[in-house]
Amino acid sequence: MPNRRTLLVLTAASLLPAAGRLVQPAFAQAAGGASAFVKSIGERLVAVVNGPGSNREKREKLAQIVNSDVDVDGVARFCLGRFWRNASPEQQQSYTQLFHHVLVNNITAKVGEYQGVRFTMGRTQKRDENEVVSTIVERPNSPPTNVEWIISNASGAPKVVDVIAEGTSLRLTQRSDYASYLSHNNNSIDALINAMRQQVDQAG
Amino acid sequence: MRAAIRCHLLVITALLLGTLGGCATPPPADDADAVAEFKETNDPIEPTNRAIYAFNDGLDTVIMQPAARAYRFVVPPPVRAGIHNVLSNLGTPAQLGNDMLEGKPRRAGDTTMRFLINTTVGVLGVFDVAKDWGYPDHDADFGMTLGLWGLPEGPFLFLPVFGPSNPRDAVGMGVNAAMDPFTWVGQGTAVRVLDWSRFGINALDQRERHLDDVENIKKTALDPYATFRSLYRQHRQARIEDVRNDTRATIPVWFPQSGTRGNVTYSPAVSPAY
Repeated sequence: MPNRRTLLVLTAASLLPAAGRLVQPAFAQAAGGASAFVKSIGERLVAVVNGPGSNREKREKLAQIVNSDVDVDGVARFCLGRFWRNASPEQQQSYTQLFHHVLVNNITAKVGEYQGVRFTMGRTQKRDENEVVSTIVERPNSPPTNVEWIISNASGAPKVVDVIAEGTSLRLTQRSDYASYLSHNNNSIDALINAMRQQVDQAG
Repeated sequence: MRAAIRCHLLVITALLLGTLGGCATPPPADDADAVAEFKETNDPIEPTNRAIYAFNDGLDTVIMQPAARAYRFVVPPPVRAGIHNVLSNLGTPAQLGNDMLEGKPRRAGDTTMRFLINTTVGVLGVFDVAKDWGYPDHDADFGMTLGLWGLPEGPFLFLPVFGPSNPRDAVGMGVNAAMDPFTWVGQGTAVRVLDWSRFGINALDQRERHLDDVENIKKTALDPYATFRSLYRQHRQARIEDVRNDTRATIPVWFPQSGTRGNVTYSPAVSPAY
């Protein structure tokens, strides 16, 4: 047994430099890509938030950014957690559709709060299969906030899969909200869908 | 069985604090997913906690929120920032104690420099000069210290008046108050009035800073209680990871550096487990 392990380690060690040479440029490029991607999203978000236009126009522009650069379907699936498997295809579809609206509404609700926002780019790291881009978001009269953008390249193009503000994950918080709502409503996915529909209708 | 006993102990504690409540019903044992979720939520006295949450929410709606709005309306931002800085400066002795207990000399150094600079140049703490001079503020309290020492947080607790917590942080809050020298300084009416004013203004300052966040959560969450529970946990865990990952070297930059210890490394908070 030890022999085989030694052999394995040796083989791996001899292959490593070659693999390293192959992987490194690709990784460096990807890392630069993630950082540039977040920078571009950040700049567009700041432009919308600080820019002119009514709340309605801003909502339209934010929806465009969210739908093109965020893996909304993936996030929606994550937020439903173990209930996704139990949902019927129709339920999955209407849930995902509503989730798009809810997400855009939640972001739009913060526009007023983020007036005068600025951000600075930090470093990019690899975590699991994703890349984590750190930024510092500064608002007038508020302490600076550390915001991490989790970027996945799984679909070929970079997509935001989570935003972690001061250590609190957006999708994790959303998932616990839904899980708790479901457990207090007999685990009925229809009840959740109705509640989300009400939220969307109220927001107009 | 043991879980049930633990739950009852928690409820008795909650009852002693003057509230009614009960225990959450665990899901049937054959539903593995639901059991896993129940354990992860780790809120065995959820009904009691929710009752206290409702009570606090009522207090907040009637007293704290209007007070904080009035405070924001009447007091201009620079003055509010000054008040916040003074309160933060008064908290530095306890903060320093925790930095040391956490075994983080660079953090302790930051806190000491902050106190010295802000108390003098910063005019008794009104201006946060130290931040611009390279000594930024950080969080340190005894709950975080216990967490860094490896004590688990324990089940979720919602404390009357104080809000989201857990056994570790509740004990930490008590010890932290004891670590504050102002708890022990002086006696008599004047000191008591000052102590209570500090407590009241601190509550007002904190509430004002979270007016928009809390309003947003209440507006967007389907179950605000569960959202606050999740946010509190993630936030505390991230603060503890911040301390753990603050591995800045204690060797001054002009001293010959040895190996990797010389590099100032900084790693941002580890994200919560997915």
